[in-house]
Amino acid sequence: MSNILRSLLTISVLAGPAVAQAQPIPGGRANLIVQPVPHSLMLGLVTNAPTQLVAGQIYEGLLRYDDKLKPLPSLAKSWEISPDGLRYTFHLNQGVTWHDGKPFTAADVLFSVNDFLMKTQPRHRNTMTRVADVGAPDDHTVVFTLKEPFEPFIRSFAFWVMPMVPKHIYEGTDYASNPANDRPIGTGPFKFESWRKGSAIHLVKNETYYLAGKPYLQDIYYHVIPDGASRAVAYETGKVDVLPGGSVENFDVPRLTAQNNTCVSQKGQEFDSPLSFLWLNNRKPPMNDVRFRQAVMYAMDRQFALDVLWNGIGKVATGPIAGTTPFYKAVQPQYPHDPKKAKALLAEMHYDGKPLRLLPLPYGETWQRWAEAVKQNLGDVGIPVEIQATDVAGWNQRVSQWDYDMAFTFLFQNGDPALGVERNYISSQISKGNPWNNVEGYTNPTVDALFAKAALATPAEKRQDLYDEVQKAVQADVPVAWLLDLRFPVIYRCNFQNLITTANGLNDSLRDTWIKR
Amino acid sequence: MTAFWVRYARNRGAVAGIVILVLVLVLAIAAPALYPRSPWAMVQRPFLPPFTNGGFPLGTDTMGRDIASAVAHGAGVSLLVGFVSTLAALLIGIPIGAVAGYFGGRVDDLLMRFTEFFQSVPNFALAVVLVAIFRPSLVSIVAAIAIVSWPPVARLLRGEVMALRGREFVQAAVLSGQRTGPIILRQILPNTLSPVIVLGTMMVAAAILLESALSFMGLGDPNIMSWGYVIGAGRTVIRQAWWVSLFPGVAILLTVLALNLVGEGLNDALNPRLSRKTR
Amino acid sequence: MPRFIVSRLGKMALILVGIIILNFVLIHAAPGDPASVMAGEAGDADAAFLQQLRERFGLDKPLPIQLLTYLSNVLRLDFGYSYRQGMPVIDLITDRLPATLLLSGSAFLISLVLGVAAGALAASRQGKVSDSVISTLALLFYATPLFWLALMAVLLFSVQLGWFPGFGYESVGSGYGGLERAADILHHLVLPALTLGLFFMAVYARMTRASVLEVSRLDFVRTARAKGLRPRVVLVRHILRNAILPVVTLAGLQAGQLVGGAVLIETVFAWPGIGRLMFEALEQRDYNLLLGIFVVSAAMVLAFNLITDILYRLVDPRIGAAA
Repeated sequence: MSNILRSLLTISVLAGPAVAQAQPIPGGRANLIVQPVPHSLMLGLVTNAPTQLVAGQIYEGLLRYDDKLKPLPSLAKSWEISPDGLRYTFHLNQGVTWHDGKPFTAADVLFSVNDFLMKTQPRHRNTMTRVADVGAPDDHTVVFTLKEPFEPFIRSFAFWVMPMVPKHIYEGTDYASNPANDRPIGTGPFKFESWRKGSAIHLVKNETYYLAGKPYLQDIYYHVIPDGASRAVAYETGKVDVLPGGSVENFDVPRLTAQNNTCVSQKGQEFDSPLSFLWLNNRKPPMNDVRFRQAVMYAMDRQFALDVLWNGIGKVATGPIAGTTPFYKAVQPQYPHDPKKAKALLAEMHYDGKPLRLLPLPYGETWQRWAEAVKQNLGDVGIPVEIQATDVAGWNQRVSQWDYDMAFTFLFQNGDPALGVERNYISSQISKGNPWNNVEGYTNPTVDALFAKAALATPAEKRQDLYDEVQKAVQADVPVAWLLDLRFPVIYRCNFQNLITTANGLNDSLRDTWIKR
Repeated sequence: MTAFWVRYARNRGAVAGIVILVLVLVLAIAAPALYPRSPWAMVQRPFLPPFTNGGFPLGTDTMGRDIASAVAHGAGVSLLVGFVSTLAALLIGIPIGAVAGYFGGRVDDLLMRFTEFFQSVPNFALAVVLVAIFRPSLVSIVAAIAIVSWPPVARLLRGEVMALRGREFVQAAVLSGQRTGPIILRQILPNTLSPVIVLGTMMVAAAILLESALSFMGLGDPNIMSWGYVIGAGRTVIRQAWWVSLFPGVAILLTVLALNLVGEGLNDALNPRLSRKTR
Repeated sequence: MPRFIVSRLGKMALILVGIIILNFVLIHAAPGDPASVMAGEAGDADAAFLQQLRERFGLDKPLPIQLLTYLSNVLRLDFGYSYRQGMPVIDLITDRLPATLLLSGSAFLISLVLGVAAGALAASRQGKVSDSVISTLALLFYATPLFWLALMAVLLFSVQLGWFPGFGYESVGSGYGGLERAADILHHLVLPALTLGLFFMAVYARMTRASVLEVSRLDFVRTARAKGLRPRVVLVRHILRNAILPVVTLAGLQAGQLVGGAVLIETVFAWPGIGRLMFEALEQRDYNLLLGIFVVSAAMVLAFNLITDILYRLVDPRIGAAA
């Protein structure tokens, strides 16, 4: 264990606040990794992680968010919410231009919100069901009017949730096949320069960016290196300066963080707040018995998994809401590692000891080892488990068709329990064919009602009280077995300043980044 | 029988082979008694070096699992997969080869094209695809190994049967009006037994290697502790913990070596005519 | 000879079509499809989104239609588009193929040259110490798991001794060009090529030894010896020329194994070849890419077989068309 402890120490020492004292120096180049290869950089069409990482420098939203998910100005320089919580008025920055020189105005916002994203983004269609009207009183003001108050609405304007796309290029065209998709045009701090397929994506500084002096970096390269070991080597040899979270395997992390001039950050993932848990198929015995589900929680040694498999990076989850998501509170009941309690619960329910199937997440070694550890933990309290190997496609298929007993997963919380948490627990979200909804088949009318009330309550304090109730109720029922708040550490050279300034991390922070020389 | 053993024992390597093989077999049978806890149990701190703790002579792996226990429990898995998949390969290859060799002509042509077809696909790649698609499990692994390893059996049988077909005793059986099936089964096949046994032994060795390679790639049955799995799981930490990968590898090496030695010995003993000629 | 080649090419084409159909069926028998994988990466999708993706990739068409489309495209050497990597399959493969060809080609050369030499040496010293050393080593390497040998080589020569790089194709970001770069790649090639070659070297050494011993008992060799030719001349001119024939045949037959072994070696050494590409494509259900790799690697094996057959005929014209 000493190895692990040592690496833990290094990480906590290095992860101290990287607040820049000195004056930013313009110039320089950042070399990053993008993994896997994005299939497109057109953020209005594709929003998965690799596309966000690159396209977040090209496209912008109306707002950015700090690490507590408080809104920060972006394309909107200021905003007001009416006291009844229904009208959101945004004042846009003046003098913003698209990368082709055309001005950015409220018309572009209306086109993006009412037209483009409605056709391309399922998530956006869902958000807009709450909106009665979007209007533009003048070229630099946009007003959203809601049907009823919805406090999380203010957290729906991030660059990838509601990216602004140019009306003059897309209006009246087939969005998916518009040739501009290959040379994306946004308003962001960096412009698309070139993409050598299989090698690197090159972005250059937007010289006419509307914030004076920004960005500082002259250009950014996103290198494509398909092999995990080679990505680690690319950092060690200096070809790459920044390893975004998840671009190297966990077992390489201690070695890389021991390098000279190397810093680690766990920040910049507050918007996503990935939470890992086990789906427990509540429809089937014995998972339909709450005592069994609680026994699973008690049986698992989650601290061991955190220390050994995740190098101590992250946190043991307390319940349905991740520690970095708004409205989180560590309420009771909690389930520390306690095999005796687990055994007692199983004895009480006369558990029959039939073997159960466990699907690991097919995302590499760490998850495979984790499944083995959980199997062992459960076996120790008398729950025999058979691990069933799958690949990504097979895993998606089986989970979304409910063909499993227990299955590993991790999901993003999207900045608010109403956006990223309730979908996994409310009964209206039980529907086959989707691996991200209420896959476990949990129904509790009290919880349904609480979630519904909490989503629509204002102000935030009232929501907090309701979500406290939700967390208590759900934690007592254990519909799924929560594992860890995951953190995918960003590994970078310490002379990179202000690398992560928002809740979306590297994805939309690089406009603030500069290199200390 | 004694003549057989005398001939066999003349090959010292073959005797060593049989000794090692028996030891592996004993280890496989005794594993549950020697290490009653599951080899997956996390019993000590991770990365315990070997020879430092009497209870865990071969050290522990990334998760604190006993490597000695894994090696012991893995013996049975390797032998089982090796023998069963070879048996299955023989069951595919013998009929195809026998029919092709006996009937010749167009039947032979067709069956040999079929065989060639399987030989043209890279062996290991096909096995990887088969196991991945039918999900890694003991059954899918055995089936995949059988499917990629039968062609040599068919080729061997075809040659043997072709040679035997023209012999007097077969011709006599044909003339006496016996049906084709019984002729192949009773007259011809028993005479091909010796080379098949020799080839079979070698195939068991190859199957063990193939199984370990699949497990190494992460395509083993996730519920069964196999040698290849331990090596694969230890690969990423080889700089810190060489022992995780070393010991199971030695186990595979010894077992495969023993099988090959036994195969040679059998060849000498069963085919005295050919002895010292090939292989 | 030309007629032989033409008929062989015809057979090869048939086998290739068979391989395409077999793998097409196999791959589509697996649960899940690339659309669901890509949607899974987005972390959020509805049925309409999945349907959009499937339509874009033509996955909504009936299977026989998909197969026919694919076959006719392959005939025009169009392997389609990789869903996952957003690039034409042929580009991905040609990008990775040189690394694999370099690795398996050099391993093949090493194993054949050293294997034949070691086998001939062992046979000419039959029963002496050098014979038993060579035979024992051959037996050992023959029984060693390839991937394990590779790992141990990394451990010894890279981690412990630091003589050779433990993984990769070249030094990333070194900025080398020309000869310097070639030397760098060669440096990286040593361990993977040697480990891949050792197994086959063991096979060829054993085969050559047996073959040489067999040939040296034949009459024409006795005649040559009786004529008073020096043993070395007899060995090289008379015995080896004949003894090498079965070794060449075997080598041709083992091309498939060599390509398969490359998958393992590429995994251990992070060698950017098509073996690794295949494994990634499989995990991501990148059907077009996987099929493309299969067609190309099977074509490689077939071409290899053809070349050895032609060589065989050139060396030994007695072989008739029946072979």
